[in-house]
Amino acid sequence: MAFGQLYKITKEISNQVNIHKMKNLIILILSFFLILLMNQNVKAQDIQSTDEIQKLKQEIELLSKQNNSYKPGKSQFLLRGYAHSGLQTNNNGFSFVGGSFNPLLIYKQSDRLLFETELEMELVGSAVELGIEYANISYLLSKNITIRAGKMLVPFGIFVPNLHPAWINKFPTAPLGAGHEGILPTNDIGVEIRGGSYLGNLKVNYSFFAVNGGQLNDGMEEPEEAGIIHHGIFPDNNNGKTIGSRIGIFPFSNSSMELGFSAMYGKTGARESDVEDIKALHYAFDISYVKTLSSMSSVLDLKAQYTGVNVSDANYPEHDDPDELYTFDNKSKTWFAQLSLRPALVENPIVRNLEFAIRYSDLLTPEGAEWHVNQSQTDVGINYWFDWRTVVKFSYRIRSGFEGGHSEEPSHGGVEEDGGNSFFIHWAIGF
Amino acid sequence: MKKLQIIALIFSILFAIIIVQSCKSTSNITESKFGAQLWGENCIRCHNTPSPETFSDTEWDVAVMHMRVRANLTESEAVKIADFLKTAN
Repeated sequence: MAFGQLYKITKEISNQVNIHKMKNLIILILSFFLILLMNQNVKAQDIQSTDEIQKLKQEIELLSKQNNSYKPGKSQFLLRGYAHSGLQTNNNGFSFVGGSFNPLLIYKQSDRLLFETELEMELVGSAVELGIEYANISYLLSKNITIRAGKMLVPFGIFVPNLHPAWINKFPTAPLGAGHEGILPTNDIGVEIRGGSYLGNLKVNYSFFAVNGGQLNDGMEEPEEAGIIHHGIFPDNNNGKTIGSRIGIFPFSNSSMELGFSAMYGKTGARESDVEDIKALHYAFDISYVKTLSSMSSVLDLKAQYTGVNVSDANYPEHDDPDELYTFDNKSKTWFAQLSLRPALVENPIVRNLEFAIRYSDLLTPEGAEWHVNQSQTDVGINYWFDWRTVVKFSYRIRSGFEGGHSEEPSHGGVEEDGGNSFFIHWAIGF
Repeated sequence: MKKLQIIALIFSILFAIIIVQSCKSTSNITESKFGAQLWGENCIRCHNTPSPETFSDTEWDVAVMHMRVRANLTESEAVKIADFLKTAN
């Protein structure tokens, strides 16, 4: 009995142990399959991720290739320029007047080499007159020295080289003496060294140039213009070159003021003529002052330039009797001062785009000459700026004094002049 | 004639001084100024300050090189102005 019970108990225990073992075995097998399954899944995911990475790599390579095809080279080209037009009313009537379209082509050959040219397409009567304002190449020799050669705006004073473009000029017209037929040099062909530098902490800019120079009208064919120096005529009428310079000094460290001194001197008479040795000296002083006036929430802009022209004495044929000669003290002078105020810091968007400007200019040419002028001009205007380079100008011009035979053409681009008071509405866009 | 010689002499001396100075390194004043400041100070001397959004980076490279020659900017000034315009556009 005791053995029988013992056997039963032992068997039962054995069964329970086996069941427990079986359970463990089943769990073990299931875990194995589970791990196997997970491993397979991870492997599948790895394969999928690798495929995606490859795909992304290919896409990046493709995009990189595409991007490289758009990557700019060292040589770059830029088209800029300006255009303007408007209307004028005076005693002669009221007319829309053709302006001009001046494309400016800039070509950067490399980090040191630059070519630029400005064309001028101007309406003259029913035709279009095409001109080249400048076309020159610049080589940036060092940090502060640039060499320029070709046709250039003569670096003399501030109006012609810096302020004449219609989208920069505060008025539709130029000051007296500064137009295409004025006494200021305009453009010329030659070479120039220019740049900006520092004398200690004093900022300066400089330009030294040699150009063909102006040409003296000897009065043989146009007696009414005897003694005038014409600028921008090619080729040169003599072998002497005109040399000149402009130096600008910035007395304040914030560059708000620039004082400029310009001079140019050279032969102007035609070779093998009676006036071959006649020379001309041009000199100018200019000032520019631009200051933000916080108290007035405005930007103040002052510009002024005084120019003198001395031509050595010469004999010219009388208008009525060319065999008779006459002479005069061939000295001219002109100056202008311009002030503008723009409340650019006020909150009102209309008011801050307004600009109020006034300019006075004066021209005096030799008394003994047929082209004697003793004239003054006052321009007052209100401009509205649509953006930093698009403007509509409303201005009124008052002229007084004696206007001689020498026709002045103050506008740079087509506004017909009659020498009298005029009202202008003009738009200009820079691009 | 004497007056002319004096003028020529003054300009020649200034020319020589400037050329010598041009070989030196950049002024402390330029070094201390940011591109935005140089942009504000230099452009407005002649015209309104241009919006950086006007041109792309590449176009600004050309435009600033043009203005470096036109406005007699130093290399340091031009680089700082270009960097500012390209960052802000």
